[in-house]
Amino acid sequence: MMGDMTASSSGTSVPGEGALPHPDAAASTTATASGQALAELLRRCARGDEAAFAELYDATSRRLFGLVLRIVRDHAMSEEVTQEVYLDIWRTSARFDPSRGSALSWMMTIAHRTAVDRVRSSEAARRRDDTHAATNQDIDFDATAEAAQASLEAQRVRRALATLTDAQRSAVELAYLGGYTHTEVATLLHLPLGTAKTRIRDGLIRLRDTMGVPA
Amino acid sequence: MNADLHHLSGAYAVDALDDAERAAFESHLLGCADCRAEVAELTAAGHSLAALTEATPPPSLRASVLSGISQVRPLPPLPEDPAAPVPDAVASVVSGPVTPEADAGAPDPVSSDAVSSDAVVVPLRRRSRASTWLAGAAAAAVIAVGGLVWSPWSNDSGTLSPVDQVVAAADAVRVTSSKGELNAEVAYSRQLGRAAITVAGLPPAPEGKTYQLWFVGSDGVASSAGLLTPGADRRGSMVLEGDPSAAAAVGMTVEPAGGSPAPTTDPLVVLALA
Repeated sequence: MMGDMTASSSGTSVPGEGALPHPDAAASTTATASGQALAELLRRCARGDEAAFAELYDATSRRLFGLVLRIVRDHAMSEEVTQEVYLDIWRTSARFDPSRGSALSWMMTIAHRTAVDRVRSSEAARRRDDTHAATNQDIDFDATAEAAQASLEAQRVRRALATLTDAQRSAVELAYLGGYTHTEVATLLHLPLGTAKTRIRDGLIRLRDTMGVPA
Repeated sequence: MNADLHHLSGAYAVDALDDAERAAFESHLLGCADCRAEVAELTAAGHSLAALTEATPPPSLRASVLSGISQVRPLPPLPEDPAAPVPDAVASVVSGPVTPEADAGAPDPVSSDAVSSDAVVVPLRRRSRASTWLAGAAAAAVIAVGGLVWSPWSNDSGTLSPVDQVVAAADAVRVTSSKGELNAEVAYSRQLGRAAITVAGLPPAPEGKTYQLWFVGSDGVASSAGLLTPGADRRGSMVLEGDPSAAAAVGMTVEPAGGSPAPTTDPLVVLALA
């Protein structure tokens, strides 16, 4: 590993935040930061490059924080989870394996799993009791999303989602955005036990095929 | 390919399996390249939904995240799941010479593996007192590597995390221990008067509990060395509170949240300081 030592690295200690990119500079780069650029930033993080990490944060924080907020709901807890996620990304950056998927997908996987683990802990159990709210949250994107609706990528995702059957779409949304297990999804959607996992998989396959998502 | 397990790929990709299913599917994944490929694709497909939920985090979060990471050392590129031999005998050990790397700037996965490949297992015993930890630890040979330094920052000590400063001390000694999935390494420097611990494979503490570290003197008396909270990746590291000079061992127990003045449970792991 670390074969590419030619990439620029801070090399010396960064004297406070002054040397880091201003947050506004990268406010709109989430959707456009190329996978390769993110992977290179991760490689630099693995070598302890804090400036690279700041760039990585600026390029991905709207996406990761938005997902965590969507799953966790509580704002303060979402900030806490997001901080934990970025700390894990920093600490495990050397473990990112580009042959197994994109850098963004790797980071989102950490964010998703951490957020899901959090809501499944007993502290957050009360949220899961409100099944009425849960069954109705799947179409309520606008509540937490900001300007994302306008983005081309979001439009593309919406069009792809529209190709799923209602059952597939609800199952995928409850699992991914709601953080529910497939067993819980089956209960919420009044599906026979064991069928929700098939709906989730079929829905994801259709999303993949419609959008041509690279792994 | 097991058709039933194969159908879990989608639920796995969106973290919709319970713990038992997840474990079963992950062991299936090890031997099923088709499923691995499908999981990678479906995971990416699932993440596309996050384009619909973007939200701008408060600027204060950016500041906390960036100041937080400067305290933390990125882990070296070890394998995801260290294949540590797990002897189930009371105390069983594999030890061998480890060659210190002259070039600290060239991380050597072999020497890094010393963290996980040498097992010191201390049994969990009911109502053991701290002094009995020492017996267990003493019965186990310990791998101790003097002055072995690894740092991704080469000789730039200005960016070393507090944990790394201990690990990188000229007289640093490292001892390691494994039990099941848990791997622990303590590095200590008598010159600095500091010790640091790094753990892997440590699940979150149960609700209302915390992991607490202890310095154990040769008289068997334990004094608190701080609380440890593992991350979501089940890893954690910290500089222990207090001077290791008088300690004969470092131990870790599960205690009520906030910690205890003295250990109240059997140690998960004990590392004898050479």
